[in-house]
Parts: sequence; structure tokens; C-alpha cells
Amino acid sequence: MNLNPPLVIASGPGGSGEYLSLINPKYVGAYTLKTITLNPKPGNKSKRMENSENYIINSIGLENPGIEYVISNIEKFVLKETKTILSLGGDSKDEYIKIAEKIAPYAKKFEAIEFNFSCPNVKKGGLSILSDVNEWQEILENVRKILPNSFLIAKLSIEGNFVEVLSKKVKEFGWNGLTLINCVRGLLIKDGKIVTGGLSGPILKPIALRAIYEVRKVLKDIYIIASGGIYTKKDVDDFLLVGANAISIGSALFKDPQVIEELGKYLKGVEK
Amino acid sequence: MENTYLTKKDVIQINEDTFIVTFNEKFKFDEGQFIMIQTPSLTRKPFILGTWKSNIAVSVQIKGKGTKYIVFEEKKFKAHFPLGNKFIPPAGNGIVIASPTCITLANLLHEKYSCNVLIGSKSKINFELPFESVVGNEDFSKKIKTLKPYDWYLVSGSKQMEEFVLSNIESKNVFVSLEEYMGCGIGACKSCAVFTKDGVKHVCTDGPIFRRDIL
Repeated sequence: MNLNPPLVIASGPGGSGEYLSLINPKYVGAYTLKTITLNPKPGNKSKRMENSENYIINSIGLENPGIEYVISNIEKFVLKETKTILSLGGDSKDEYIKIAEKIAPYAKKFEAIEFNFSCPNVKKGGLSILSDVNEWQEILENVRKILPNSFLIAKLSIEGNFVEVLSKKVKEFGWNGLTLINCVRGLLIKDGKIVTGGLSGPILKPIALRAIYEVRKVLKDIYIIASGGIYTKKDVDDFLLVGANAISIGSALFKDPQVIEELGKYLKGVEK
Repeated sequence: MENTYLTKKDVIQINEDTFIVTFNEKFKFDEGQFIMIQTPSLTRKPFILGTWKSNIAVSVQIKGKGTKYIVFEEKKFKAHFPLGNKFIPPAGNGIVIASPTCITLANLLHEKYSCNVLIGSKSKINFELPFESVVGNEDFSKKIKTLKPYDWYLVSGSKQMEEFVLSNIESKNVFVSLEEYMGCGIGACKSCAVFTKDGVKHVCTDGPIFRRDIL
């Protein structure tokens, strides 16, 4: 995958291309769509988001229209302004495999296909899909066979197993890239009430840096998209230093969508 | 939609914790639309747009560091706007029942549609408003219960205020301005979802003003 600049809009905060009305696509290497699942999901009840000084907690619940809707409206989901990365998820091994089969005829339309492996495995009582490594390997193996020519990216959480161990499996089954890391489980107490969800924001940076550092030590030639608390040029430098190939911007979009232009120019060498 | 800077013109205190902030800039927007303003917080904050003394204005209730920053500290804001949908009231006589946090929208609708406005404030209002107001829960509830019938109603305030007003008004033309936590304001993040009779809607792209009968 050759991105210019090596800057990606993260799945989740990026939605389905809405930010392209606020940012210059010239500085977006690729845009990752919000995760799509086999069946439509209405998402969680409100409140779905809260923020504190240096972190955000979200519990969107993967709201999405389902893969059949995406296929029926495929041209709407392939962005014209920039390269598009499709993000897919599932509630079980079978769902990951089925969704890969459904998208296979359209796979060429996307620069890459990212599989979000932070979804709960509903058939295994809601534990992470990564909690059963044997089953997860079956997903990796089958999806690679179903999508033999796609640039396949595994988006990994740090929960479930050491990320460097999981990353080796991704490489072993012939996948091309990793997005490291996804949100981690967090909890915030707001007005005396407990709010749980996925943690993002600047607080995630040291965790993400360590994950990429450890993975790069064991895998020299896999494409790594860094994700987790990237807001500034210094953050970009730090992630490149530990071995990232591309930078993914997520929650920083909520603070200032123009951060893309600033970081995109920096990565293109237009601005120091 | 623009993502640019706005500069603060005036700050007018309405009651103990709510302020009208007017801007120097003029830009086009429709009644009911809102703006996302950047603060030191990690997410921009939504404010419904309106007017005050011929200026574009928002009303800001002090709730934390972000709102203090807008009212007391910063003079230049980065923001994206206008967002959301236009509110077109039905024909006839209408009324906007609002808290001070929606006073600039009420003012705009009053100017455009000559509708009545009733402001319900929990604390004393510091200056003479150009429309009717009541202070305190008791007077507000008495007023709502004895309100003359209107052809349409728009309720815009706290959830508590909205629930009370909605439970006391019988009309097919009742509209409510909803507030849910927003990450983006443009339909990307899906954080401002509301579950309605017509399925999941988002305050930022389907609202912020909804008919009561779909909620």
C-alpha cells in the first residue's frame, strides 16, 4: 500500500467520509470507513460518548447499516476524493467469514480491507474475538483464501493476548498490515454515574507506542498503521520512530478536523 | 459548511450562569441550525444558532472549563457551521418555550415568524427581555398549565424542562429541540443517536429539532 501522505482517517470517528467536507483530501492518504457487520446494528442506547481532560469514552455499539446495504450502495461507500479502506467486523467466526465472502466480488474497489478484531464474540459470551486464538486463526486463514488479492489489515486491540504474539499470526497467515491499536476498555465516573466504553484520546499514546515498538521488534516487514492518541507533529514523529509506516487520526478529528491538513503537510514534507 | 474562525463581539449575562455570546462575523444559516465550537476540551461543543441585536449569537450555560473558556477567556474561536436542519414551523400562531440556553434561537424565530416566546429561567434574569419570562419551577409550571392554545409549539431547554412541557401540552404540532453528546456534529461518529418510532436518528443530521410524535 502506497499512501501519500501516509496518513489515514481512522475507522469509527471518521464515519463514512463526512469529514471530507471539512478537510482537504489532498492531505488524506486513505479514509477508513466505519466498521460494517454482516447484519445491521442499531448501536447502543445513549449516552454514547463522554470526555475527560485527556481521554474520550465511547460506546457507539458499532451502529451500521449492514453489509447488504453497503453492497447495494457500493458506489456511495467508495470515496471519490481519496483512497478508501473498508472496515469489517463480526459477532463470531462465521460472521467474519460470511462478510468476507459477501464483499469478495467488490474487494478491488477498496485500497485495503481492515478487519476490526476488537468486536465481542457473541457466541463465546461476549469475550473479545481474540480470546480464542485457535478460532481467530481460522478467521485469518479463511479470509485470506476468500480475499486472495486484497491488502488485508488486522486491527488489533491490546486486550486478549500480547499484541506481538497476535501480530506474528497475522503475518503467518499472509495478511499485509496491522492497525495498532484500537480503543481499550475504560471507565469514567460522570456526575456519580459509571460510564463504560472504549477509551481513546491522548492518554492512549504510550500504550500504542509500546505496542508498535514490540511488534516492530519481531516483524520487520509488515505494514503498520499507528493509531492511538495522535494529535500533534511530535506524536507523528514518535510513532514513526518506533516503526509505524502510516499514521491514523481518530479522536483528534473531534477537536479540530484541520489537524489532518497540518499533519498531512508535515508528512508530505510541505511544512516542518 | 465552513470550518473557520469566529471572533467574539459581546458577552451579555442572562442569569446567574448563562450568557449570550455575539459574533462579529455574518454568515448564512437557517433557523434551528447549530455550530460546533472548539475549546481546550477534546471535543468541540454544539450550540444552537440564533440572533441578538442584529448579530449572530449563541447562548452558553457555564458547565465546565470549555464553556468558561468561551464566555470569559477566548476572543477568537475555531468552529464549523452551520449544521443540522432548518426548522419550518406550521402555519398559524406559535410559541417557543425555551430556557435561557436557547434564547438566541427564540429571538430569531420571534423576529422571523412573530411567534410568542416564553423563557423559563431557574434563576433571576438580569435584564429586560423583549419577551415573556418566568423564574423558578413553580411559576413556570403554573404558566405552562394555564397557557392559551397555540397552533404550534417548539420546546427548547433542559431535558427536565422539555419533559414537563411535553407532558402538559396536547397538540399534534409540538416540536422539541434535542440535546445529546456530540463528537463531530456532521453525522460521522454516531454519538448523538436517539431511538425514535422511525428507528435510530441522529441529533446532528436528522435534527436537532424533531416532531414530538416520532419520539
